[in-house]
Amino acid sequence: MAIKNKKLITIIIWLAVILALFAGVFLTGNQGEKHETVKEMMRDAVLHDLNHISFLGIKEVNPAFISALVITAVLLISAAFIRLFFIPRLKYIPSKFQLLLEQMVGLFDNFAKTNSPHQNGFLGAYIFGAGMYIFFGTMFELIGFQAFTTEGYAISLPAPLSDINGAIAMGCLSYLIILIAGIVTNGFKGLGSTLKDFSMPLSMSFRLFGAMLSGVLVTELVYYYLSLSFVLPVIVGVLFTLLHAIIQTYVLVMLTASTYGEATKPKKKQLSRHSPVSGGFQN
Amino acid sequence: MNVPLNIDWQQILLHLLNFSVLTFGLYLLLYKPVKTFMDERAKHYETLDTQAKEKLEEAEKLEASYNRRLKDVETEIENKKAGAAVEAKKAADLILRNARQQAEGLLSDAREAAQDERAKILDDSRQEIAYMAMTAAEKLLEQSASGALDQFLTAVKKE
Repeated sequence: MAIKNKKLITIIIWLAVILALFAGVFLTGNQGEKHETVKEMMRDAVLHDLNHISFLGIKEVNPAFISALVITAVLLISAAFIRLFFIPRLKYIPSKFQLLLEQMVGLFDNFAKTNSPHQNGFLGAYIFGAGMYIFFGTMFELIGFQAFTTEGYAISLPAPLSDINGAIAMGCLSYLIILIAGIVTNGFKGLGSTLKDFSMPLSMSFRLFGAMLSGVLVTELVYYYLSLSFVLPVIVGVLFTLLHAIIQTYVLVMLTASTYGEATKPKKKQLSRHSPVSGGFQN
Repeated sequence: MNVPLNIDWQQILLHLLNFSVLTFGLYLLLYKPVKTFMDERAKHYETLDTQAKEKLEEAEKLEASYNRRLKDVETEIENKKAGAAVEAKKAADLILRNARQQAEGLLSDAREAAQDERAKILDDSRQEIAYMAMTAAEKLLEQSASGALDQFLTAVKKE
């Protein structure tokens, strides 16, 4: 009986909070009036020509770079905490959190070992960093971290890779690493085989940018209109972003790992078609 | 120069720098220690596995040697059993032979004793018969002598 009453009270409080929030939304009216039209907003999401944020007073940068810095800081601080307080207490029979850590590291390590069996030490570390950056960078959208533009407007920070500069940096760095690994392993032949895929940095960068941008545009569109801001963001915001984060992480990591593996595969000496085999038919 | 899509090389470099710092930091703080720990654990379990396999092999060898020994012991026992049976048979034969010899000795002794006894009895009987005959003869003689004397004496008196 007491449990039923408790449940009923909880439901009533929950409904009251929802009603109060609804009332608040409608009563506050147009205080949060948009400073840009949906067209301008969409254009800015693609071209980044309107909203800029001052980076330590040195340079005006795109909001996505600030997102990248925030993510880097958060991830590094979390990693430092884990390194200091958790890793020294790792056990042979793992706890739930240890299992999660091991799964994360093991996943990227296995990716590297499977796709590049000959050389995978550096690749594992690189795709681990890239994977974490893309996944948490995409999930960062959900938080709606606020920042002020140079013009004084409040904006929520986007995913770092929805900025063309961030995507180009990621795509080109991945290609550069594959190129260097090819040269280190196979010398001139490695360079040749990697340069063969000269379109790869472009495709990697723009695929990543396009995929992330599409997510940003849909989310921005949904949040732009008040009428769409109820219930729908649960699906668009949470489910789409989560799927998006997983898929983009998988795609870039997979592409990088497989191309790296291809570039570092030891090249066998091929027999020339014209030179006859010694002891063959030769008169 | 106006680059399309507002691509900013400086910001690209800033992104690269940021990502390099993140990757290196994550490698040092998370990836390397966790991987080292996982490798150590895998090595530990591999060592345990190898040790277990070695122990199993040793146990199998030991089992084989014990089985071999057991077989040897069984064969030895069989041989000893057979030897013991032969020995026992020999001993039994000896005892039997001795017993037979003893029995034969006893029988011959008994026969001899019986013959001696018979002879003795025969002798005694002969002697007794002789004695009895003599006694009877004496008695007869006595009887016959006394009658003749009486007759003589009577005759003498008459005369």
